[in-house]
Amino acid sequence: MAGQLATIQGLTVDYYFILSTVLFSIGAIGLLTRKNMIVMLMCIELMLNSVNLLLVAFSSYFGTGDAQIFVFFIVVVAAAEATVGLSILIMAYRNNRNIEADLLNNLKG
Amino acid sequence: MEAIIILFLTGIIALFLGIFKQPKLTTVSSILGLVAAGIVQYFPLDILSDKYNILEFGDAGNAFVILALMITALIILSGDKGFQEDKSHVGDYHALLLFSLSGGIILIGFKDIFMFFLGLEILSIPLYVLAGAKRQSKESSEAAVKYFFMGAFATCILLFGVALIYGSTQSFELEKILEFTAENPVGPIFYVGLLFILASFLFKVGAAPFHFWVPDVYQGSPTVFMGYMSSVVKLVGVFAFVKFFRIAFDNVHEFWTILIAVLIAISMFIGNLSALVQTKFKRLLAYSSITNGSYALMSILYQGSVQDSSLWIFMVGYGMSVVALITISTIVNDERDEISSLKGIGYKNPLIGLVAIVALLSTSGIPPFTGFFGKLMIFSAVWVNYPWLIILALINSAIGVYIYLRLIMTILSKENSETTSKLSITILQQGVLISCLVILTFGWVFLAGWK
Repeated sequence: MAGQLATIQGLTVDYYFILSTVLFSIGAIGLLTRKNMIVMLMCIELMLNSVNLLLVAFSSYFGTGDAQIFVFFIVVVAAAEATVGLSILIMAYRNNRNIEADLLNNLKG
Repeated sequence: MEAIIILFLTGIIALFLGIFKQPKLTTVSSILGLVAAGIVQYFPLDILSDKYNILEFGDAGNAFVILALMITALIILSGDKGFQEDKSHVGDYHALLLFSLSGGIILIGFKDIFMFFLGLEILSIPLYVLAGAKRQSKESSEAAVKYFFMGAFATCILLFGVALIYGSTQSFELEKILEFTAENPVGPIFYVGLLFILASFLFKVGAAPFHFWVPDVYQGSPTVFMGYMSSVVKLVGVFAFVKFFRIAFDNVHEFWTILIAVLIAISMFIGNLSALVQTKFKRLLAYSSITNGSYALMSILYQGSVQDSSLWIFMVGYGMSVVALITISTIVNDERDEISSLKGIGYKNPLIGLVAIVALLSTSGIPPFTGFFGKLMIFSAVWVNYPWLIILALINSAIGVYIYLRLIMTILSKENSETTSKLSITILQQGVLISCLVILTFGWVFLAGWK
C-alpha cells in the first residue's frame, strides 16, 4: 500500500502500520524478557491494543466498518482475559508469595 | 446454533444448582443438557439457522460436534466422584466445562474470522480457570499461570496476523479471502499474516516449535481437566486449523504445506523421544498428545480433509484412549502421579487392566482397534504427496509401540506397588470404562455410517 495518496488525519496508512508494528514488538519483547508477571500482563494488553490501532487504521483506509466492529470484540475479550489473568496471578501469589515468573519452576521432568 | 444455546443455558443452570449445593442434580442436568445438544445438532430444528447463518456445520461438522459432546459427557462422568467431594465448587466446574465446550462448537462451525476468534476465546478462557482448579496446590497455580500467558500470547499473535490478512484482502470471511487470493496477487504482508496465524495455531494445538508449555500445563492441571484439554481441545483445535487453512489459504498452499510437514515431523520426534524417559503418568500422556496431535495435523496436507472421515475416526480413537487413561489415573488417585503406581493394577481389577491395554494398543495403532483405522486412513491419504513424512511417521509409530508396550508390561506385572492398596471404583467410572472399551474395539462400525 506504499505510495497511495489516501490519508487518515493527514497521515498515510503506512505510519499507522509502522506505529502498531513497533508497539506490538515492544509488547512481545517485554512479555518474553520481563520477569514481573503484572508487567507481562500489561505487555499483553499493549499487544492487543496495537492490533486494535492497526485494524482501525485499515478500516478507515478502506472505508469499511467491519474491522471497527472487530475492535469492539477484541476490547471485550481483552477485558475478560485481564480479569481471569489477574485472578490467576492472585492465586499464584497466595501459593508462592511472589509474582516473579522465573520462580515458578515446580513442574519439570 | 441451537446446540450452543442449550449448552449455555445448561451451564447457567449448573451455576445455580451449585449455589444451592446440589451436586448430584448438577451432574444429571449437565448430562441431560449434553444429550439434548447432541440431539438438536443431529436433527436440526432450524428455528434460528435461517435468520442467523453465521455458523455452518455440514455433515462433517455435525459429526465432530457430536464427538466433542460425547467425550465431554464421558469426562464429566469419570470426574464426577472428584467433583462431588468438592461440594462448594461442583457447579463451577460443570459450568466452565460447558461454556468452554460451547466455544468449541463455535470453533467447529465458523465461517468468518469474527466467529473463529470468539469461539477460540470462549474455548480458552474457562480453561485457564480450570487449569488452576486446585487452588491450594502450587503445581496447579503454576500450570494456570503458564497456560494463561501462553494462551494470551498466542491470541495476540493470531490477532496481529488477522489484522495483516485483513489489510491485504479487505475481508474477514474465509470464502472471500479465498476468492481474493484467486483473483489478485498477494504481497508480502499477506504471507507475514499467514505465518503469524500459523504460529498461533501451532501454540494452540501444541505442535513444535511451540509445544514447550504442554507438558507443564498438563502435569499441573487436575487430571479430569487435563483429559478435556488433551481430547476435546485438541480435536476442536486441529479441526479449526484444517478448516481455516484449507478454506482461506487454499490458493497459496504450496507456501505453507511443506512448512507444516517439516514441523509435523519435528514434533513427532520431540513427543516420542521425550516420552521415552518420563516417569510421571500425566507427563507421559502430555508428550503422547504432542505426537498424536501431529499425526492428526497431517490431515491438513491433502485437500478435502475437512469433509472426509479420516480425521474424525482418528480423533474417535485418540479421544477415547485419553478418556480411558485419565479415568484410570483418577481411579488410581496417586498424588505423585508416578507410572510405577500402576504396577499390577491389571490383577487387582481385570476391567481396568483390559481397558488400559485396549486403550494403549489402540493409541499405538494395533489393527483391530479404532486407532489403527484413523492412522491408516490419514497416512494413506498423505502418502501420495509426502512419502518421506509417512516413513518418519512409521518410525515414530514403532517408537510409540515400544513406549505403550512398556506401560502394558507395568500394568500386567506380578509385583504390587505399595501406594495403591485398594481401588475404589464407582459405577459411573465403570460405565465410562466399558463404553470406552466398546468404542475402541468396534469403532470401525462408525465408518460404515459416514455419509
